Amino acid sequence: MIVMERLMKRFGSVRALEDVSLTAGDGRVTGLIGPNGAGKTTAFRIVYGLLAPDGGRAEVDGVDVSASRMAAQRRLGVLPDVRGLYPRLTAREHIRYFGRLHGSGGRALEADIDDLVDRLGMADFADRPARGFSRGQELKVALGRALVHRPHNLILDEPTNGLDVMSARAVRDLILDMKARGHCILISSHIMSEVAALCDDLVIVAGGRVAASGAPDALCAQTGAADLEEAFVRALVHAGEGAS
Amino acid sequence: MSGWALRLFWVFAKEARDHARDRRSLMLALIYPLLGPLLVAGGLALAGKTLSADWRARAVEVPAVGLEHAPALAAHLAQHNIRATPAPPDPREAVRAGRAPVVLVIPQSAQGRERFEADVITNLGRVDNLRATARLTEVVRLYNEDRAAARARAAGLPDDYARTVTLNNVNVAQDANIAVFFYNMVPPLVIFMIFLGGVHLAVDTTVGERERGSLEPLLLAPVERGVLLAGKALATLAFTAVTTAVNLFAFKGFMELAAAGSARLVEPPDWTVFAWIFVLSIPLMAIAVALQMSIAVVTRSMKEAQIYLGLLPLAPALPGMVMIFSPLTLTTANAAVPVLGQLLMITKLVAGQGVDLVPALGASVTTLAAAAGIFALAARGFTREKMFVLG
Repeated sequence: MIVMERLMKRFGSVRALEDVSLTAGDGRVTGLIGPNGAGKTTAFRIVYGLLAPDGGRAEVDGVDVSASRMAAQRRLGVLPDVRGLYPRLTAREHIRYFGRLHGSGGRALEADIDDLVDRLGMADFADRPARGFSRGQELKVALGRALVHRPHNLILDEPTNGLDVMSARAVRDLILDMKARGHCILISSHIMSEVAALCDDLVIVAGGRVAASGAPDALCAQTGAADLEEAFVRALVHAGEGAS
Repeated sequence: MSGWALRLFWVFAKEARDHARDRRSLMLALIYPLLGPLLVAGGLALAGKTLSADWRARAVEVPAVGLEHAPALAAHLAQHNIRATPAPPDPREAVRAGRAPVVLVIPQSAQGRERFEADVITNLGRVDNLRATARLTEVVRLYNEDRAAARARAAGLPDDYARTVTLNNVNVAQDANIAVFFYNMVPPLVIFMIFLGGVHLAVDTTVGERERGSLEPLLLAPVERGVLLAGKALATLAFTAVTTAVNLFAFKGFMELAAAGSARLVEPPDWTVFAWIFVLSIPLMAIAVALQMSIAVVTRSMKEAQIYLGLLPLAPALPGMVMIFSPLTLTTANAAVPVLGQLLMITKLVAGQGVDLVPALGASVTTLAAAAGIFALAARGFTREKMFVLG
């Protein structure tokens, strides 16, 4: 379970987060959505221990991230928006490196790598250096890297950004499969159809604050919108973001 | 191996493997360190060639004006292998412009006279003029001595009657000094290479990772930030050590080949000296890597880091270049100054003087302590949010 409690973060005079709270439960997909610059990535970065909040707190499975960053990171698998691969390492070497940093090793790690290569469909490029990988291939490696230590909680920032239809569908299937196994999944996406299809709970942020939250159907009902995209826009207008 | 030590090892192993596949890192580690030794050995070979040839036996062409007015001098010059050639129309301008190395001007008033004045027009600002000028003045000096002796004999006096001091030039070190001059270039060049060898790794594994966007995923792994930076620093240190070893190996090998070409050049220091230089350089490598890391983590881009780190090797190498011309003596006090201590000791080693253990240990301790302090600052810089958040 991932909990954000009244998160605040400023960068100089810029208020990135004013007051963001959410709870992402186990066995559920929670969507954190909002316009560009709303504070989604900043909130994620606080949860995975990259940024320290100026106010509030973040927890992963009850572990306070600020107090025990490494313990929280062991429970988290993260797919950041920037995939950031090493061009001279192969896909398999990427996954092995991160597995080792998480404390895995030996035959167990190699078996996990083989399993991920199989599950993510990486067999034909697993032993090639990452230079020249397609965006889909990059995403698969980044996912393998995020999953190698079998984390209970997942944060996926724009998981299907730039992918073709088949790759995007494969990622969505993986998310639903992880959800079915009881994992806690927190995602961010600009694709409303994807959010509607995947998310059990939604939190809409605008200007560093929570503008609306609830299940997709409940949000549509609250705003009187026919679909989620319209509900999203109305929530932003209500929060004073839509006019800009 | 404890948890953090294992994590340190995996970061080190990844960076070492990654950069062993990188052309730029390999160039810096294996090719660049050959350039300084090639340059020094080339100069040494040239000096050896010059020394091995008997320059007194070789003819020198000297443009001359009015030599027909002093036939005895002309005959003396010819006898000593100085071949007079027609002088250019404006001797001063020709010498100044480098079209003639030197011009001998005999005035018309010298015609038929025993004593006369002559001009040697030269430009000693040009090194290549030195030999012709020195040879001409030496032969004219001999002519004067011959004539003076002849006049003394004619007057019934001893040959050396007009000579007050007979100066015998006994320069036993002349040939050795030329080689030593080149060997003295080794310490600053080795130090320059130590501060250059790991630059690409230091930049690529820190600010480079940030620019590529791979630092953020890396920081999601449960690894202490200090351990992460230390693993990267160790990989940088390993490449610096390889660079230094190649550099020293090349210096010894190339200089030995160059010195072998001339029996008159003193041999370069033996392998033991180069092994000691490597050992003394280990604290230097540590401080070089610490400085590289501390600069790399506070810069905003790879370009900015490369500018600063490209200048970094000059700072410790400059005192060494100055010391080629103005040597500084090693004392217990200056041995304890980080970098300077090693420079002085390496210079002593190259000069064949050996190094005492106490100043060597003192220099190592102070330099390693300084390296640790600088690395602590770098590790602190590595925890800044600005270091790893793009945008």
